Amino acid sequence: MPNIAVFIEQRDGALKKVAWQMISEARRITEAAGGEVWGVFLGPDAAAATAEAGKYGAHKVMAATADAFASYDSELWGTALAEFCKSQQPDLLMVGSTAMGKDLGPKTAAKLGCACISDAVAVKYEDGWEVRRPVFAGKCFADLTPRTDLTIVGIRPNAFVQAENPGAAAAEEFAPGIDGVTSKAVVKRIEAASGGKVELTEAEIVVSGGRGIKGPENYEMIEKLADAMGAAAGASRAIVDAGWVDYSHQVGQTGKTVGPNLYVACGISGAIQHLAGMSSSKCIVAINKDANAPIFKVADYGIVADLFEVVPTLTDEVGKLGG
Amino acid sequence: MKIAVCVKQVPDSETRINLPAPAAELDRTGFTRVLNPYDAFAVEEAVKIKEAGADVEVTAITIGPETVKETLKKDCLAVGCDQALIITDPGLDNADEATIATVLVAALKRDEYDLILFGLKAIDDDSGQVGILVAEKLGLPHVSNITHLELGEGNLTAHREIEGGKEIVEATLPALLTCQKGLNEPRLPSLPNIMKAGMKPMESATCADLGIECPANLVEIKLYSPPPTRGECKLLDAEDPAAAARELARLLNEEAKVI
Repeated sequence: MPNIAVFIEQRDGALKKVAWQMISEARRITEAAGGEVWGVFLGPDAAAATAEAGKYGAHKVMAATADAFASYDSELWGTALAEFCKSQQPDLLMVGSTAMGKDLGPKTAAKLGCACISDAVAVKYEDGWEVRRPVFAGKCFADLTPRTDLTIVGIRPNAFVQAENPGAAAAEEFAPGIDGVTSKAVVKRIEAASGGKVELTEAEIVVSGGRGIKGPENYEMIEKLADAMGAAAGASRAIVDAGWVDYSHQVGQTGKTVGPNLYVACGISGAIQHLAGMSSSKCIVAINKDANAPIFKVADYGIVADLFEVVPTLTDEVGKLGG
Repeated sequence: MKIAVCVKQVPDSETRINLPAPAAELDRTGFTRVLNPYDAFAVEEAVKIKEAGADVEVTAITIGPETVKETLKKDCLAVGCDQALIITDPGLDNADEATIATVLVAALKRDEYDLILFGLKAIDDDSGQVGILVAEKLGLPHVSNITHLELGEGNLTAHREIEGGKEIVEATLPALLTCQKGLNEPRLPSLPNIMKAGMKPMESATCADLGIECPANLVEIKLYSPPPTRGECKLLDAEDPAAAARELARLLNEEAKVI
């Protein structure tokens, strides 16, 4: 009977929805295998996290609410999460593959000496854990079996389907064991980036532009379609390297990996390095003048045309749907 | 100042994986092997620090078979690293992240370094753990995913990319950093420098040479499987592109139900 803990990430009090996806999946696993789902939360106030986690089937949420958890600190947060694992002994700890989770997961695993698996897309329990993750840039999958009693697993956002499982999670506190622990690398401040309103890695819809947009002045067209769809705006490596958009928009190898419900590739040929970052998207749309572009091999819907003749109309149409 | 850059040789990103059906092993013959692209940012940063300061020594460290020597020579020594350490041990053939970290820790403890640089992640395993594991095992401060670095006297300020912005992070040296695109533009080696790189010291060591036994993996790979095949692409009639756009919006809304 495996007990699964799920890390509920907050930044400035805002909760990351990958937590609800993980709790939903953990609940599906424990419905079949027995055991409980526990949220684990670090932050000044656990009330919202506890209420929300209950909606998706968490049995309880264990929180450490010290002021030290107002903002991320690898050493303090890693210490707290390791203390949680030592005292509560979950069989699996899921951590979202976000900027924070990718840092916190291995940090905690190193403190505990336990197995850590990054960026997983599926977790199974049958006489032990089996974790699936893409390797070689999504060109194949690896099924992994951990050998330690506790395993920390990073979960790719949008890999699991969020599903309500109404109930109330019990609120509990745990001792984070950070007295006398000092920060090693200190976050002095956070600077917000200009541009995209929706963040790429967690976005449910991504609209990306490539060389087909012809110049930096036309990226606005991609952003307008993204806005109309409530999507994040992405880019191919080609236009990032050309200096047309900031590299924080880059999707693919040496950029971000995304797995949204909908990926719209505008004027992107679909080089293998780009496919690496988006081929796990559930529905892919390709708009490209070149009928032989490799992007059409992975696309579900395609329009072979000049994107300048398609994207503005598509933006208007989507706007009408939203209205 | 002593800088270590921990690097990995990986299959080129154009590599095709020949895997018609699930299998316990991958057919790795014919792979073209190159320096992991993220590691190039780490190498470049170390060389930039060396060029800007006096008395800086840069050591490239890797784990892999003898064949990694060419990559080390061309992409590390020829662009400015001073020396290289290759840890080659048959016991490390299928090493997981924890095993690699333990071995690197042994190497990094043997010589003391002020700054240790890693790439953000390797493009084959794509896991991004090893640098962070090493930092914790060495008890060092680390900043992962950095896009900017300023070194001070015994300290550093780094920019760490996060969702929708960046953290400005300070740490004291010695410290460990994992490097992301945006940090710098890696230079290419010149032919004369590749020739000269052959003269630079390149040490080979086994786990036993580092005073440790090959560690046991914490995670085993059970099976590799090909990615799920996608359905045929539904191509819309694009004679009238605007009409195709309207039809696409309808399909995404009514058929795929994604908007």
